[in-house]
Amino acid sequence: MSALTTLVAQRVRRNRVTVTIWVASTGFLAFVAAIGVAREYGTDEDRESILRLAVANPAILLLRGLPQGASLDQFIFFQIFTYLALMAGLMSTFLAVRHSRTEEETGRAELIASTPAARRTPTTATLIHGIGANIALALLVAGAFMAAGLDAVGALLCGAAAGAAGVAYLTVGLLAAQLFRTSRAANSVSVAVVLSTFLLRGVGDALGTPGDDGLHMTSAWPSWLSPIGWGQHVDAFGTNTPLPLLLQLALVIAVTAAVYALQSSRDSGASLIADSPGRLTAAPAFRSNLALAWRLHRTSVIGWAIGGAACGLFAGSLSSLVRQAADSTPAIGDTLSAISGAGTTLDQALISIMFSIAGVLAAAAAIQSVIRLRQEEAGGTAELLLSTPLSRVRWFADFLVVAVVAVVAVLLSAASVAVVAVIATGSDSSLVGDVAGIAVAQLPAALLFLGALALVFVVAPAWTAGLGWSVLGLTFFVGVFGPLLGLPDAVTHISPFANSPVLIGDEPEWNGGFTMLAVALAAVAASLVLMRRRALRST
Amino acid sequence: MSTVIDVAGLTKTYGRVRALDGLDLTVAAGEIHGFLGPNGAGKSTTIRILLGLAKATGGSASVFGKDPWNDAIGLHRRMAYVPGDVALWSNLSGGEAIDLISRLRQSAGEAKAYAARRARLIEEFQFDPSKKGRAYSKGNRQKVALIAAFATPADLYILDEPTSGLDPLMEAVFNREVRRVSDEGATVLLSSHILSEVEQLCDRVSIIRAGRTAETGTLAELRHLTRTEIAFAAGDRVDWSIPGANDLVVENGRVRLTADSANLAPTLSALASLSVQGLTVAPASLEELFLRHYGDVA
Repeated sequence: MSALTTLVAQRVRRNRVTVTIWVASTGFLAFVAAIGVAREYGTDEDRESILRLAVANPAILLLRGLPQGASLDQFIFFQIFTYLALMAGLMSTFLAVRHSRTEEETGRAELIASTPAARRTPTTATLIHGIGANIALALLVAGAFMAAGLDAVGALLCGAAAGAAGVAYLTVGLLAAQLFRTSRAANSVSVAVVLSTFLLRGVGDALGTPGDDGLHMTSAWPSWLSPIGWGQHVDAFGTNTPLPLLLQLALVIAVTAAVYALQSSRDSGASLIADSPGRLTAAPAFRSNLALAWRLHRTSVIGWAIGGAACGLFAGSLSSLVRQAADSTPAIGDTLSAISGAGTTLDQALISIMFSIAGVLAAAAAIQSVIRLRQEEAGGTAELLLSTPLSRVRWFADFLVVAVVAVVAVLLSAASVAVVAVIATGSDSSLVGDVAGIAVAQLPAALLFLGALALVFVVAPAWTAGLGWSVLGLTFFVGVFGPLLGLPDAVTHISPFANSPVLIGDEPEWNGGFTMLAVALAAVAASLVLMRRRALRST
Repeated sequence: MSTVIDVAGLTKTYGRVRALDGLDLTVAAGEIHGFLGPNGAGKSTTIRILLGLAKATGGSASVFGKDPWNDAIGLHRRMAYVPGDVALWSNLSGGEAIDLISRLRQSAGEAKAYAARRARLIEEFQFDPSKKGRAYSKGNRQKVALIAAFATPADLYILDEPTSGLDPLMEAVFNREVRRVSDEGATVLLSSHILSEVEQLCDRVSIIRAGRTAETGTLAELRHLTRTEIAFAAGDRVDWSIPGANDLVVENGRVRLTADSANLAPTLSALASLSVQGLTVAPASLEELFLRHYGDVA
């Protein structure tokens, strides 16, 4: 076997579980979405009314896709494609960084680089492996759609578009790995690129021009800055145009060339953006475990808060967009007045939708803080700290404090940006009060995640990261797709986010807010008590 | 002399694995105590229990007369610890890590004296405090923990294979620091599988194997149990018969044998009457002690 085939085989073997899970769950998402949408929106009238609503509602466009017709197949493409491309993108960037920067950072790359498989061969192997994973994903998505009874040509094109987006992000991940010294930085930057390009095509779609029938939309230029946006424009199940995929190809070629150029010219382990030198002595205030916990989280809290601010920006400014659209297109105005009512205005509904995403971000920030505790414990740094006069409980509690700060920071930045946007766009200033209420309403669910995961960390530390992310992912999935797929209420109501209070207007509905707060507090209290008795566990 | 560490019949199990199986260890105040054993003998497990990071399954362990699990915080005010495998925070510089650990251990008003000791130690260990944690080699990560340990005074130093990544020059600096804190009255527990380091520093030694104490005593007492190595030029003679000689071999033109250290007189007088040339007599090394206890493990 040549060095290249050996390295590809080694990657396939190391990733057999991870890649299988990503590919299978993407295919599964395509299948259940197709089946669910067909069941829930079986008639043309159902779909047309939803599309008219979507065209009038930028929040829906942001969270779904580009309306390109009301046939069942097109409607399914509109609902689910952007998420399939998102999954392919996340799978690919993680894969790229895992086999490039992580290897260099841990020193394993040196072992390989000392063999004849030097320098460029590992990158080529990663590229081949990543393209293979995306081909598998594309085929599975196409197969899932065909199995659900969709048109075969459109299904294949849809799969190809998702896979092509995946390959584009694969090269982005490889490039990030060339630029940054640590896998953490490379991963953060490439995930940020994936999410912001997802958002960018959302903004482009939301700012687009509605067609005369109210069932089509021509997206604005920001969509054309995003590989996911290019994928949408293949217009699967409609005109079936593969031309936009040439853009993916061009991007892949350009970025790959840059990756090889950088790879060939740098030392093993070095990076284009070098490490900044550290401080010779610690800052005077850096003298407690709490200061350390904050220091370790500072960057990610800022990252999550920027995400929160983006939600706030859309929450505060979308309603003025809607009004402009309503003024120019009478059909949209009619749809709007039809859905406003039941005590909630469209503005309030838009703000609620965007803040429910800010709520998920807040929970994610809290989860990351608890997972950090586990990393400190498993990585051995906790041992250094706990050999000083610092109690286990105090060590643990300080990280929880930072987690709460992270939750508040995300929601506060979302709320303040939303308020500024509401005022700047000249919307009804009574919305300011609504923004505050809606932001506060996200707290209980986020804190519930925090408390529950803190308890998991104390009782079953090895499960912390896996359980934290998968439960949040599942909850997000049920929240976003539950109604679409017609999941029973019993299932959708398990999600903490479904039980958040609605604090709008004069009659606030507390729902499960207080219960969730009580459970969160009880979980934190129990974890603090149990932590007193728990030994440090590195495995 | 009072006892600082008192461990009796200590057991610790992880699932079915028995890491400690009735370990005994007594360390008196002011002594430098070598804690010897091959990898996996239970040295680090014992140390983790003494630090209150792990809870004993059975037996008793006390440090300064207190229970290390329940009184961890109070005890840690008097202790400094250097782990065998030092992990650092990847985004903190070495200088920041040293300061953080030291500040967590310090009481108020020590800042000035600390700054002076820190500067001296950084100089002596030739340590660059400006790099980020991930950029340090194993030896340099070890220096972070060593500098933090020695920069703030403690009554008890627990050092878990502290020199495993250091070069000989840095080992000399380390030995000097251990002698300094010992002269100032501190107690030191030094775990190691490097015997020369223990021979140079330690007053007393405990040797453990498979979670139990195999031998404990001063080096002199332990040497008593061992044999002295003797070698001399063989010349033309092939047939040797020497009283008290064991394991006699003739190789590469030299005769090698071992003799009971407590009873060398008959052997030595026999050698004198034979007028042997190129005689060397070496005291038993701890390597030999180890060989005797563990067979193939040196």
